[in-house]
Amino acid sequence: MATKGPLVSRRRFLQGAALSAATLSLGPQLLDIRSWAKENQDAPLSRVPTICGGCGNRCAIFAYVKNNRIWRIEGHPEANGNRGLVCTKGHGYIHDLYSPDRIKSPLKRVDGVFQPISWEQAYKEISQKINLILMLNGPQSIFWINFPQPNHTYALRLMHALGSPHYFTHGSTCYTARNAGWNYTVGKLPLNDLANSRYIMIIGRNPAGGVNLGQMAEITAARRQGAKLVVLDPRHNETAILADEWLPIKPGTDLAFLLAMIHVLIKEGLYDRDFVRNNTTGFGELAKQAINYSPEWAENICEIPAPTIIRITREMAAQKPKALIHRGYHGAFGSQYLNSFQTVRALAIANSLLGNINREGGLYFPPMPELGELQPKHPVPEGPKMQKADGTGTPGRFPLGSYGDGIAHAIPELALRDELKCGFVYHNNPLRTNPNPKRVMAGYKKLELLVVVDTVLSETAAIAHYVLPESFYLERDEAVDTRHTGKKCQITIQQQVVSPLFDTKPGTQIIIDLAQHLGVGRYFDFNLEEANRLRLKPLGVSLEELKEKGLAAVGDNWKDGFQKLATPSGKVELYSATIEKLGYPPVPLWQEPLVSPDLKDIHSFRLLHGKQAFHTHAMTANQPYLMAITERYNLLCLLMNQARGEALGLQDGDLVEMKSLVGEGKIRVKLTEGLHPSCVWLPSGYGIFSKHLKTAYDMGLSYNDFLPTLFDPTVGHVMASEIIVQVKKA
Amino acid sequence: MARYGMIIDGSKCVGCYACRVACQNLNNLREKEAYNHLEETHYGKFPDFARVFLPVQCQHCDNPPCVSVCPTGASQKRKDGVVLVEKKDCIGCKYCIAACPYNVRIIKKEGYIEKCRFCIEFVEQGGKPACMTTCMTGVRIFGDLDDPGSEIAREVAKNRIRLQQFKVTMNTQPRIFYRKA
Repeated sequence: MATKGPLVSRRRFLQGAALSAATLSLGPQLLDIRSWAKENQDAPLSRVPTICGGCGNRCAIFAYVKNNRIWRIEGHPEANGNRGLVCTKGHGYIHDLYSPDRIKSPLKRVDGVFQPISWEQAYKEISQKINLILMLNGPQSIFWINFPQPNHTYALRLMHALGSPHYFTHGSTCYTARNAGWNYTVGKLPLNDLANSRYIMIIGRNPAGGVNLGQMAEITAARRQGAKLVVLDPRHNETAILADEWLPIKPGTDLAFLLAMIHVLIKEGLYDRDFVRNNTTGFGELAKQAINYSPEWAENICEIPAPTIIRITREMAAQKPKALIHRGYHGAFGSQYLNSFQTVRALAIANSLLGNINREGGLYFPPMPELGELQPKHPVPEGPKMQKADGTGTPGRFPLGSYGDGIAHAIPELALRDELKCGFVYHNNPLRTNPNPKRVMAGYKKLELLVVVDTVLSETAAIAHYVLPESFYLERDEAVDTRHTGKKCQITIQQQVVSPLFDTKPGTQIIIDLAQHLGVGRYFDFNLEEANRLRLKPLGVSLEELKEKGLAAVGDNWKDGFQKLATPSGKVELYSATIEKLGYPPVPLWQEPLVSPDLKDIHSFRLLHGKQAFHTHAMTANQPYLMAITERYNLLCLLMNQARGEALGLQDGDLVEMKSLVGEGKIRVKLTEGLHPSCVWLPSGYGIFSKHLKTAYDMGLSYNDFLPTLFDPTVGHVMASEIIVQVKKA
Repeated sequence: MARYGMIIDGSKCVGCYACRVACQNLNNLREKEAYNHLEETHYGKFPDFARVFLPVQCQHCDNPPCVSVCPTGASQKRKDGVVLVEKKDCIGCKYCIAACPYNVRIIKKEGYIEKCRFCIEFVEQGGKPACMTTCMTGVRIFGDLDDPGSEIAREVAKNRIRLQQFKVTMNTQPRIFYRKA
């Protein structure tokens, strides 16, 4: 931390205080920013580069520190991912460092009440219990689930060292359908070259609300150059504010729109003939199928007028290959519908017909930095002998599911079936972010041992047997990160900015400590610093250099032009023999959503959800600076189409009762002309029910309260928008 | 002497409120104290619908009503155009709040009145206002209107006709110019 300023006595005072009392409360001088600022007006200011912990984008930032207290953060101007910018959540989340709700020492639940326990004692008890459980039930009975951060590789290593295949990410509740669709069409997930595109179509992705700063900077630049922006979304989302056109598509029917686009591209001969001839397989089969999907057919399903579909397709084709349909994220097809996998296939195919694969202004595959390995110095564990119990990658179960991610929301089911007996939850809160919380709770409560690593007592932490407090992101060093790779390959690193306030440890350290106590220390005979040096070795960047600059450009720049893909044929698979062998349609076919609102019932709606730009799902709901925005602007409402609301006798601000198969709740309604009539829309991230999160507790509802436990039959994702609700005036 | 001003292009604002929190951090404000405010307006009927966010903050008027009503001289306009409150002179009488047509002043817990100062202390050290640098779509341009090389001066020279002031009929002569769509 070369750029850090001089240490002062207060810092030492704080360190001492943190060690002496596990229940130390934060002094008013730290909690009240104004009085702290006054007191420290003339204190020297230091600037430390690190990465933001406010969401999964891990933006490169500079943290400004005075007297060991964080003041504010700024974006790193060179970072591909955020281009010198910081979002609302990033600014707000720094204050969580001083949240009175933070966990201040390891905790053990005794008779339903948490009691402080030492790290050593906690590790000892946890390891004894796990070893006993694994002896009786086999190594596969333990799992680890996390929202993947750079250190997820060590968590995976820990599971493999123990002999368990059960490492999970949150993926099945987020993006696994999208990834599968891209993987089976072009081999892997591309990035969007928005900045150089002449025509950008975004379907159900909202980079202005589910904030991606780099993408927004690129869209702004492209717009300045005259690029056209079209947004397809049942809701007039925040990106639509910037768009030339908003097309309010009927929820769950994006596939019909895309099939009609493909139809027009082929029928009118607008596709890139050279690209299709040289770089794709199965055009004949695709053309044979696409003939069925005329724009007029699509209009009946998706409610976008046929002439609009034709016009937009022609406009895009005129700009090819500098025209793209955004690769998507969670939004419309990450894990939303029964037809999501087919939707992504159709979206990837429509892009391919525009000839934009690995082209400037289209979609591209960024070069990835080749990080070094820990072996041969540190041996790799042999790995588990059995398949994952969730059935990912298994024919007959979820063959298109992601084995690497697993199916997160299958964990409670596997626990109820006694297939999983104990586990770790790290940087994740399944009780709030998985569907059907009652079922999730039943599953997680059935575990013989649940250990949660978090900074606050989330819903999941609140039912754990042990809680291990992780240091806040500004308090810890972490693993080297490659998140910022774009056209220019970049690596970044998270590093300590202020010393820990409490008796907490970095996530990687907790993983290493656990391994050592669990008897698999031979695979973890390193510390974070050594691991980081080994990872950086082939890149020719020293750890010191990376820490000083926060970011380093490495490797080659991206090159324009199609290259052999990671698909079986090496080409774009318009027709996929792999998918056919598994018994699924090898070219995209129209598929209805699983459920649809009852047209004869004025109370029946589809429940959609989405992110607000100032919250990261349930993670930041408890942040007072961010919740203040929600409250000040009355943004915790259920959105409903104006005419539908009036038909129900509703006015803005009325309390409504919403019910689904699995849940019910009350919320205020806001009527808008900016929403498709067939759905209601709920902002995600609210509905916190952990009493330990005092700012957010009992504020609003979560869509997960209404979503039944569903598994898409091929990918296994949650199908998060397959919810029908009844809405009535309360 | 610089003559500071700002251009706000409301058509680019997506309502993320990053300006609000970036400003709160730079100015050490508490969570409910904000100098930046967004006004959301909806137009049209489904499916022909649009909405606009209008960022509002102190307009740094050249004819500031807050200054003329202030009984103690705490509300003042600097030579560079920045309107600010000298908190040691402020008695918290709230006349300025009543006089300001833009509703952009807050009452601090300590009893005095505060508002956007274009982050002037920070600007004097070479920085830019926090609301401008954090914005992902580049809604704001801040700078010296008298410096012909500055982005804001060039923009004013080029697009004067597309710039308008907020509540211009009140003759407050704001230093913030809004770009017409």
